[in-house]
Amino acid sequence: MRSLYAAMRRVFHAVLLGLLGAGIVHIVVLFLVPEFSERDAWSRLSMASDLYKMTRLDAEAGGAPVVKSVDPLFYATACRFDLGEGMVRIKAPGHVPFWSVSVYDRSGHNIYSFNDHTATGGVLDAVVLTPAQMIDVRKELPEELQGAIFVEAPIEEGIFVIRAFVPDDSWKPSVSRFFEQSSCELQDF
Amino acid sequence: MLKNAFLTLLSLAIAIVGGGGSVWYALKVQDGVGAIRIGQWRAFPDIGTPSADPYSKARVAREGVLALGRAEGLSFVAERDAGGAELKRECTYTIEGGFPTARFWTLYAADQSLGVVETSRPRLAALQSYGVVRQPDNSVIISAGHRPMPGNWLLTDGFGRMYFVLTFYDTPIASSTGLSDVSLPRIVKVGCDA
Repeated sequence: MRSLYAAMRRVFHAVLLGLLGAGIVHIVVLFLVPEFSERDAWSRLSMASDLYKMTRLDAEAGGAPVVKSVDPLFYATACRFDLGEGMVRIKAPGHVPFWSVSVYDRSGHNIYSFNDHTATGGVLDAVVLTPAQMIDVRKELPEELQGAIFVEAPIEEGIFVIRAFVPDDSWKPSVSRFFEQSSCELQDF
Repeated sequence: MLKNAFLTLLSLAIAIVGGGGSVWYALKVQDGVGAIRIGQWRAFPDIGTPSADPYSKARVAREGVLALGRAEGLSFVAERDAGGAELKRECTYTIEGGFPTARFWTLYAADQSLGVVETSRPRLAALQSYGVVRQPDNSVIISAGHRPMPGNWLLTDGFGRMYFVLTFYDTPIASSTGLSDVSLPRIVKVGCDA
């Protein structure tokens, strides 16, 4: 009887230790998921295309959507960049009913966003750069960058996403053209 | 000796299965921490920002989400009607009421993964504010169902669970201070196909 009691106590002890361990594992796994995820937006985009290449995110361009769940009344396009190589300039001439832009860091956190009301004349022309590069650019602002929106981002790798509203089917060709004309280039300075 | 090994194994098994399983479960349930509820609608204004909680961060990484920024807009998701029942694709609903200030909004019927529901017709299961008929007091009445309805008709199709996703673009409510006194339209069930 006494040995049974002792055995029970040891099993109870082991279960308690296990639950404590489960708590620790829960916290560790939770913080490791973002580090090791191969299904995050950056990984999906890197499978689809290279750095500095505009890639359509919606299913309209053919095939399954690269990054899931954008509004069905919206088209979206994205390019990956690496500020370690230099600053990046994004341009999209033309007018659409509404566009908005977000800059994401490597792990998909939204660090900056703006829309067409922010831009000069509603034309998308933006430069993403690090604070250090910003200091260099401020010293002597090149003529061609005068109208651009400067996005200072303390990151190296990141994703630039443009979203555009498609109110109805008749807008599809002109919004598609807006995206075809968009560019994402490493800017020499 | 063997007994000790068994007990160690038991502890380890509970720790790994319990810890891993609980994370998986926490990420699977839609309802997360940091949600703001307004009526039947739910929003996650912090999701996808660096100040999000660890659960939202893990979900963003696992699902590859690129969340809307504050200057872009804010999405609300509804999974229940005003009576508290789950939204079903085979049912007809009326969505009525005033909408908060925004440049425009879109509304679509979504499946479990929050993608738009597939319809067998050449019409999207989505509406937007430039294309709706308004009441004299500027409120909007939308009928959602399989069959065409007068006024604003949101086409739905199929069977099973459904979600409504209402997104406001270029809106002051996306800043956290604006969310306190926002009222969103009500979702009322009209009837269901047998």
